[in-house]
Amino acid sequence: MSGSMTTTTVVDDTMEFTLVELCRAVRAPQEQVRVWVVEGVLTPRGETPEEWRFAGTALRRARLARTLSRELEINAPGVALALDLMDEIEALKASLRRLGIR
Amino acid sequence: MKFQDYYQTLGVAREASQDDIKQAYRKLARKHHPDLNKETGAEARFKEIGEAYEVLKDPEKRAAYDAVGSRYAQGGAGAEQDFRPPPGWDTGFEFHGRGDDEGFDARDYSEFFESLFGRAARAGAGGGPTRRGAANLRGEDHHAKVLIDLEDAYTGARRSIQLRMPVFDDQGRGVLQERTLDVTIPRGIRQGQHLRLTGQGGPGLGNGPAGDLFLEIEFNTHRLYRVDARDVYVDLPLAPWEAALGASVEVPTPDGGVELTIPAGSAAGRKLRLKGKGIPAKSAGEPAGDLYVVVAIVLPPAGSDASRRAYESLKSAAGSDFNPRAQLQGGRT
Repeated sequence: MSGSMTTTTVVDDTMEFTLVELCRAVRAPQEQVRVWVVEGVLTPRGETPEEWRFAGTALRRARLARTLSRELEINAPGVALALDLMDEIEALKASLRRLGIR
Repeated sequence: MKFQDYYQTLGVAREASQDDIKQAYRKLARKHHPDLNKETGAEARFKEIGEAYEVLKDPEKRAAYDAVGSRYAQGGAGAEQDFRPPPGWDTGFEFHGRGDDEGFDARDYSEFFESLFGRAARAGAGGGPTRRGAANLRGEDHHAKVLIDLEDAYTGARRSIQLRMPVFDDQGRGVLQERTLDVTIPRGIRQGQHLRLTGQGGPGLGNGPAGDLFLEIEFNTHRLYRVDARDVYVDLPLAPWEAALGASVEVPTPDGGVELTIPAGSAAGRKLRLKGKGIPAKSAGEPAGDLYVVVAIVLPPAGSDASRRAYESLKSAAGSDFNPRAQLQGGRT
């Protein structure tokens, strides 16, 4: 495989995904991503699905959502709840780290 | 190759109903899922559980597995004995892939699983998203993780990573192919961020372009530093006189040591900020992180007569007005 065409970019908030790109990147069908948006798992800017733009950091969240729904068979509201709780745990862990407790 | 007891892996009886199996799987999967359980070994356990469920949830595969299992048990073989699938064991069974929409995947199954279901499962599932007619289809996007050190985020780094990628052979069958990829990790990368490598994912079909490869960045745990987004924390132990009188001490940073002035009267827990000494900015216009030096005070032992006398004279110098527990007094509020 030729490496010459490869460009490496950091996926951060300076880049955005369209619905099609995000679905491809996390291998989830569009209907599922739409449901996640309705449930508040993902919050793209833009009104209609065609105009939706997802921040680069949504990739990680969407990957987790897909894993939770596929491997743990959790439904969309459950995924939304689990991700919110995971965010909270991550924030708590970050404050523990700041205090020097690992 | 060892015989794998999938019933034991899920902790269910051989006659367990499909519902029991599903329930046992969900419970174990939640407990050991690597996204939820950061303990080492969780991921390996999760893979075993997933593989066991892969077989037992599917009545076709379960029946085939049971047939092999009972023949194996009849042979009087202990669990430690070498397992070989009997020749032609899978005649009469037809597998229908994994039964989901993923197509075949770079998922790691055990050698045991591969020997029983590997080719059959792959061939079946390979007919998924990639074999529809002669259309030109874009390849799939792939994901992998890369472990780097915090220092790499300060300087940038090159990493050579091994990937197992599903590709199609001449017969259109899916096979796993090992390949090595040299990746440039840019300076300023942060924990949990992804790198997107265009065209390094799954190959396209026909004239379709290749997919992209996404690499998730993870930092190795560091002996000295703690990382919070782009900020970095380090503990700085000080002698009581350094903290009380002020001092100039050398502090390590991932960028190299810096000389830091400790203001007089620094209490334990005080944070001294080294602006811009955290994880550097990836590009101009973006702020760099800060490095926080957290003061800790280490008391010298009062082991000798001299040090005991020194503590005694410190006590009389501080006088009776010094009360370290002043905050503990005074009622309910």
